[in-house]
Amino acid sequence: MSEAATELRAELRALVSEYIPEGFLGAFTDDPADLETAQRFCRVLAERGLLCLAWPRQYGGAGASPWEQTVVREEMWAHHEPRGAQYMGVNWVGPAIMRHGTPEQQQTHLAAIARGEVIWCQGFSEPNAGSDLASVQTAARRDGGRWLVSGQKIWTSYATIAQWCFLLARTARGEKKQHGLTIFLVPMTRPGIEVRPIRCMMGPHHLNEVFLTDVPVTGADVLGNVDEGWKVVQQVLSFERVGIARYARCERLLHAAPSVLGDEWQALPEELKGRWARMLVHCRRARLLAYRVVATQSRGRVQPGDAAAYRIAVTKLDQDTAEVLLDIIGQASLGSPEARLFRLAVDDHWRYSQASTVSSGSIEMQRILLSRSMLAPA
Amino acid sequence: MNIELSDDAAEYGRQARRALEAAGGDQLAQRAAQDPVLRESLLSPVLRELGAWDLAPREDAAELEAAAALCRSAGYWAVPYPVAERLARPADIDADGLVVVARPRLAAAVAGLRMRWAAVTIDGQRSIAVARRPAGFPLGNAFVAELELEHVDARGAKDAALGLVLPCWTLLGMLDRAIDLTRAHVLVREQFGRPLAAFQAVQFQLTDAEVERSGLDVLAAYALWSVQVGGEDALADALALRLAALEAAEVVFRIAHQLHGAIGFCDEAPLSWLSRHSQPVRRLPLGLSATRQQLAGRLGRRGLTGLFSGQAQPEVPAL
Repeated sequence: MSEAATELRAELRALVSEYIPEGFLGAFTDDPADLETAQRFCRVLAERGLLCLAWPRQYGGAGASPWEQTVVREEMWAHHEPRGAQYMGVNWVGPAIMRHGTPEQQQTHLAAIARGEVIWCQGFSEPNAGSDLASVQTAARRDGGRWLVSGQKIWTSYATIAQWCFLLARTARGEKKQHGLTIFLVPMTRPGIEVRPIRCMMGPHHLNEVFLTDVPVTGADVLGNVDEGWKVVQQVLSFERVGIARYARCERLLHAAPSVLGDEWQALPEELKGRWARMLVHCRRARLLAYRVVATQSRGRVQPGDAAAYRIAVTKLDQDTAEVLLDIIGQASLGSPEARLFRLAVDDHWRYSQASTVSSGSIEMQRILLSRSMLAPA
Repeated sequence: MNIELSDDAAEYGRQARRALEAAGGDQLAQRAAQDPVLRESLLSPVLRELGAWDLAPREDAAELEAAAALCRSAGYWAVPYPVAERLARPADIDADGLVVVARPRLAAAVAGLRMRWAAVTIDGQRSIAVARRPAGFPLGNAFVAELELEHVDARGAKDAALGLVLPCWTLLGMLDRAIDLTRAHVLVREQFGRPLAAFQAVQFQLTDAEVERSGLDVLAAYALWSVQVGGEDALADALALRLAALEAAEVVFRIAHQLHGAIGFCDEAPLSWLSRHSQPVRRLPLGLSATRQQLAGRLGRRGLTGLFSGQAQPEVPAL
């Protein structure tokens, strides 16, 4: 197992080195070439059977072990996620369709995701439903044999470039707000969908508003059962239990710093070098906490507290590392081309890290999960 | 790599915790404080019964894990006895135990015990150490004695790594207990008509403590594995563990005291004893800043071994 993971890491690094240009900072920049790089890289991964490595073989995957999946997460995030937005289709849209989709939906969507051809966006958050997701107000009202969906989604990453939306809408008012929700798989070309980008510090494509005005959907678009979408949402969130391997990018940047700074490294204040060493310890800590979650999962057990503890540790690591790296480059002249690229990578990391305790489940939600697990009756 | 103890070691740790509880549990530290000379007679029988001194942590990976589990259980009850130090005894020096020392203060929590000690510095200088009789045992002293050293050799690099790692397991046990005590307290203690545990401010402090404790847990297993492998990284890994352990202890004990309120300072509260007895392992041989400085000095430009350090290492835990 260890050998397979090592070989996979080497293969991924070789592909990154061949297909991803030096200085690549992700697909979502003002340069459209970066998005094209990511789309091409997805096709390359797909041709080699590496894009959907974790999927079962019957759906075009390789049934990779949890440890191989961990290697993919680490290498992709460390290298600024060269899969662009497609990681979402691979990580949770595909698995949700495998579990809840009709044969027609599986045929339509799974092969397209596996070929690296399609970008999805997640129509979950709304102006008044963020961490409290079950409070969504976007409503689908009956109109003969179909529904018409109206409402507003916000913070919807990649909506400007997505072909499909994994849309959560209210189809009924139940006793509890978790009841009466439904998931629709909707092409972004449907009439009534308007996307407005929100400019933000991470760059384009990350944040958008999506306005839905009488968007027609039918029973064929429903994933799972009508009014039972909350179950799907919970599973989607559990697919992402380990989440992004943020520690991998932190570690890569921290390790690069001394060689990029060259002789100037020696002149750094000893206190700053101490903080650098401390962050390397915290990278290791976060990585081992992630491995603990993976190990528990691979034994078929779930300990939500462990996953939450990891996510708290890794998101704080992301921000702490960014501060230390910015202090380091602030003390250096960084005149070489390599050093200039490093400065851009650190700046990019700092901007992204500000969102790490907010996106994909805020740190407060993780603390709630962890405290529930700690305070539950023994 | 390893991120958790084997089932056998974990079970041994559980048995040790029960045996130490039966031998006095929280009372051990209090009785030893009243009469430090009692330490030996209070602890020797139960530790002998547990087979503590039959363990050969330097010779066998399973026994090293058992030793770590025993240290953790000793920490859980704030056992007033240098269990980790005795388990780290060197193989080739006639001594009952090993302490890691650093100038300028050459000291260890070995006062009042009639034993022969070996000492090692971080850079591997080994000595025979004689503990001076302390002038007294103030409440915060926790049996610390100054040491006089007689140099032996410079072959102690591996001793230093083991001698740093095992006390971190003791400290981990102390953090386990501090969190258990705090959890129990906030579930029972009511203010404004609700248990403290119902307040989100309290819940979030508990989670901060738990993140530190669980991070130390995995790092302790990793460093233990590194010591067992005995490679060049062992000392840096041990210092990395110590750094994380000292940071974790600061956070956990501060939160534990805060959430206990005034009762946490009282002698009737186990936290009070636990917190005081955590001091020697947190300050000696190196406190937080000195540990960080030592680690940074050793890492140089190379960094810790990891995903991007360029050194070969197993990819995933052996489970």
